[in-house]
Amino acid sequence: MKRFGIFMLLLAFMLGFSSMAAAKTLKIGTLSPLTGPYAQDGTDILQGVKTAVAVFEKAGGIPGYDKIEVVPGDSACDGGKATMAANKLINSGVAGVVGAYCSSATIPASVPLNQANIVQITPASTHTDVTGRGFKQIFRMPPRDDVQAWSTVKFLEDGLKIKTLALIDDRQTYTVGLTENITEFAKEKNKIKIVALEHITPGDKDFTAVLTKLKRINPDVIYMGVYQPEGSLMVRQAKALGLKSKLLSEDAVFHPKFLEVGGKAAEGTYLTFAKAPETKERKEFEKTYKNMWKAKTVGSYGYYAYDAGMILLETIKKAGTKTNKMVDTLRNTTWSGVTGEIKFDYKGDRKLAHVIWIVKDGKFVPYWDPLTESYF
Amino acid sequence: MDTASFIIQQLINALFLGSIFALIALGYTMVYGIIELINFAHGELFTAGAFIGIIVLAALQKTGFVESHFVITLILVFGMAMAYVAVLGVAIEHVAYKPLRRASRLAAILSALGMSIFLSNGMMLSQGVSDRAYPSILGIEGFSILDARITYGQVFIIVLSLLLMVALQMFVNWTKLGKAMRATAQNQTMARMLGIDIDKTIRVTFMIGPALGAAAGVMVGLYYGSVRFDMGFIYMIKAFAAAILGGIGSIPGAVLGGMIIGGVEVLWSAFLPSEWKDVTTFVVLILVLYLRPSGILGEHVSETRV
Repeated sequence: MKRFGIFMLLLAFMLGFSSMAAAKTLKIGTLSPLTGPYAQDGTDILQGVKTAVAVFEKAGGIPGYDKIEVVPGDSACDGGKATMAANKLINSGVAGVVGAYCSSATIPASVPLNQANIVQITPASTHTDVTGRGFKQIFRMPPRDDVQAWSTVKFLEDGLKIKTLALIDDRQTYTVGLTENITEFAKEKNKIKIVALEHITPGDKDFTAVLTKLKRINPDVIYMGVYQPEGSLMVRQAKALGLKSKLLSEDAVFHPKFLEVGGKAAEGTYLTFAKAPETKERKEFEKTYKNMWKAKTVGSYGYYAYDAGMILLETIKKAGTKTNKMVDTLRNTTWSGVTGEIKFDYKGDRKLAHVIWIVKDGKFVPYWDPLTESYF
Repeated sequence: MDTASFIIQQLINALFLGSIFALIALGYTMVYGIIELINFAHGELFTAGAFIGIIVLAALQKTGFVESHFVITLILVFGMAMAYVAVLGVAIEHVAYKPLRRASRLAAILSALGMSIFLSNGMMLSQGVSDRAYPSILGIEGFSILDARITYGQVFIIVLSLLLMVALQMFVNWTKLGKAMRATAQNQTMARMLGIDIDKTIRVTFMIGPALGAAAGVMVGLYYGSVRFDMGFIYMIKAFAAAILGGIGSIPGAVLGGMIIGGVEVLWSAFLPSEWKDVTTFVVLILVLYLRPSGILGEHVSETRV
């Protein structure tokens, strides 16, 4: 009996300690491709969230927690790996997740997160299905694919006023979503004829066969529905082959790396990406990020990831870690972030539109606004 | 663009892609010919070559050497990448394959796979996870044949890879060391009895094969403009298919196989739905192996080896 008493005492100690330890650290998870071809964007996202945590802790942190820990998950732009990483995050007891990057990873990974009822904010995935399946605890930072496709078609119809368009995609969820939406929007007014739809393999380096095919068709514009590594190579090869068509791409190619690898060949390429106001907070974030990671540039999705991390932490500070309360707070608050004002609708999407950018002198420059139909 | 120039352009594209595949395939075929091992680390050696190239080139560019001595720059970049990877190849052979030479073949293959993962992760940690931009010194200037365009960079790369292939063929056929290599490939025990230094021959093979892979790596970097730690994988698969298609162990076979794989890929995409190009490539491989199990120019291994 005495032994049993000691045992109970030890057990009580242990439980006491473990519950005390749990009260001290808040865990938030990230899902992003840390390996594979899109590891650059994945690293940007992880660093964005970690920057948010550092800034938040410096500003006082969350009462009741000593430390905020970021648990990184590698989604590898792959449904299976992303789901496994999501389950690992669930088991480690995260209060919320920022991620993932590729729509083809975010959609499968959101299923276990939804079942475990954990808040998920994607800083990058734009496919309509991410928020279109009635999940209550999922939110999205960038504008949706259908908005992007609409802006693209609007620009082609009313900005460039072109007649023929060729589409390229790499057969992944995100890019196919875009080319399908563009085809539909283009059909509505029937001003633009889609003359070709070509597919490439992600990870390939040589696209000359497909580009030569398009050179022969000679459309007014070629739409590159690909990710940044392929996009950078494609503009170079298009220039080397002497293509006359203008090139237009999207938010996955909108990255400082595109300018670096594409070099002179990237000049004149149009891209769609949301435009954020140049606020003091944005500049301050850029400075902190560059100092913290010894980086020359901030990746495009680093901004969204920082905002996602910030509003997740603010929500926990306000509402605690109960998912229902967190969802209510996220929905009913208007946040201000480095990517502009953040207000989620009933689906978890923001009201945010793309503008058209152009590459000029090695920089992304705002070019045309589809909402006002005017040049910047 | 008329049909004639379209076809010429696609043939140029095919020739370019094919010569790079062929150069990488040579490394597989040589190693297999000598010790009957598929060197899975070859794709990583190719990537390592590309990285050495970018390091040398970036260093030279800082000093302004590239503009003043363009030809010497190219020689230095290719030379240093090939030399480094040749040493790396020998080191890998010494660490991962030599101790297993008498073990079962499965053990050596597992060792090769392990080496591949080790090198790939090593490059990820040392060179970073993202694409690195290659200084574009070849430019996009070129000339036109009808309406088909070919850049001077492409011409340079095609010519250089053909030269390397011819040099290899001459080395293997006409030098004493080449004769030793052929003898070792035919029958190791017999070659040893005749006084051939087997270890030395294998070492030389592990220098030449990886050095050719490194040259291909620098070419890919120079032409396409970016390198990443995992870029060897897709080239490894294609080049491996090329080596098997041409008949693994046969040097002209590897060149032929590379050209066929490049040709099928480009010409299929040129006329038919491009998303099927990889399927077609491997269907061609299966068909050839079905009709000629030892590849197009391959010999019947079971008969020549005792």
